[in-house]
Amino acid sequence: MAEEEVMAELEAVEAVYGDDCQVIEPYPPHLHVHLKPRTADISSQQFVEATIGMRAGSQYPEEPPVISIIDSKGLDERRQKLLITSISDIAFELASCLMLVALCEEAVERLTSMNHPDGDCPLCLYPLLDEDSGSNSLPFMKLMSCFHCFHCDCIIRWWNFIQMQSEKEIMSSSSSTSSRIVTDQQGMRKMMEGSMGKCPVCRKVFLTKDIEHVLDLVGTGAQLDSGRIEVDADILQSDSEKIRRQKFEAVLKLQQENSGLIEPKRNEVLLPGMFLPQAVTAPSSESDMTSSGTQNNDPSDKSETNSSSSVNRPGSRKQSNSNMRRHRPQNSRNQVRHWVRKDNVSNN
Amino acid sequence: MTSPSASSRKALSKIACNRLQKELVEWQVNPPAGFKHKVTDNLQRWIIEVTGAPGTLYAGETYQLQVDFPEHYPMEAPQVIFVPPAPPHPHIYSNGHICLDILYDSWSPAMTVSSICISLLSMLSSSPAKQRPADNDRYVKNCKNGRSPKETRWWFHDDKV
Repeated sequence: MAEEEVMAELEAVEAVYGDDCQVIEPYPPHLHVHLKPRTADISSQQFVEATIGMRAGSQYPEEPPVISIIDSKGLDERRQKLLITSISDIAFELASCLMLVALCEEAVERLTSMNHPDGDCPLCLYPLLDEDSGSNSLPFMKLMSCFHCFHCDCIIRWWNFIQMQSEKEIMSSSSSTSSRIVTDQQGMRKMMEGSMGKCPVCRKVFLTKDIEHVLDLVGTGAQLDSGRIEVDADILQSDSEKIRRQKFEAVLKLQQENSGLIEPKRNEVLLPGMFLPQAVTAPSSESDMTSSGTQNNDPSDKSETNSSSSVNRPGSRKQSNSNMRRHRPQNSRNQVRHWVRKDNVSNN
Repeated sequence: MTSPSASSRKALSKIACNRLQKELVEWQVNPPAGFKHKVTDNLQRWIIEVTGAPGTLYAGETYQLQVDFPEHYPMEAPQVIFVPPAPPHPHIYSNGHICLDILYDSWSPAMTVSSICISLLSMLSSSPAKQRPADNDRYVKNCKNGRSPKETRWWFHDDKV
């Protein structure tokens, strides 16, 4: 066949595959084509890809080109061999026709049929996809840089472990105990900024956001590193945290009492006139019944329940907010004033 | 099993157990060439017999490896030593400790006992001379009281052997 026709075919291949086609030699055609499965538009659904080398001789197309795999992801030796064999077979069938595009399409076809992770999780050695159990397979994930796949649980366990190790190293390198928390936070930041990990299989560097994505999906983000938990332990004992928790509990209790509604009633409380007995009696009667029911279970609140309704309502509503003060004897008048002031502060 | 390090060792986690059982089954089906696992009921310590590859300095010689698994295997590397007498090799100390990066800093949980064995055999096979490391006596003296090689701060400088 004429050289022009072969050259024209090469042009066609370039037109079809664009930047994915790299021409090493125009004649006789020698090219590398980067091919992905058809489903590869959604990157999370792509598990394989390959760069196929096609090297034709001067007798092309009577003699088919030599097919090789230049680079691949997600394909073990067995599947690489399978891919080459199937392309080479088609090449022999099409001998004496211009076949480069057809060969690429065959490769895409094969890659599409192979577009699933294969083999075992490298960490636990159990299959990634268990054909027998079907949908019972454990969830797995893929590193975007190298397409190595792992069970989500396995990679997260490993990730947490190496984070813990590097935390330990940071801890042991800083001798002073007083600066421990600071060091922890610095260590955490360093890891976030570093934002690189290495694939356990090929050591190829990957972005930690790959893993963090999985952590988010699995909902274990809180366990990302033990350092955060340790810092939490210190924070948990602090006064500000105690107060914050009391506030939260107060809101939660209020929510339970009012069957999930907080906002409208809260507005009522904030009205200055609310604390005058006359103004309050009518609107509060209903909620008093519901709130006193729950309050009676709590002996420590009985004194408050027995006081006048105008005082009682805001007191019961925010009772745990006043937990800190509860032990101190206080007259109800003071309490009310306190509440007004506090609410104003928090709402301004 | 009577050594102090063995009794003070923490038991394998459930994950480590599952993984080791899987590795053992895999080994029984497809053992690495030149290695023989001595069957015991102890999953946490494997004794493996190595036979030097034909055509190398160690051809036909047999040595014993002792592989101890930590609680969090495979996150943590196993401890791998030769049971003395260890093969004379520029990276193997006379107390059986092995200077090989994948056993320490370069360990990855994707490695297996089988892949360690292949690396070790390759290390033996590429040895140019039956020789101890230059600092053998000093190192072995420092390692008294059964110290684990995992506590050593290794220095990996020679990538030719």
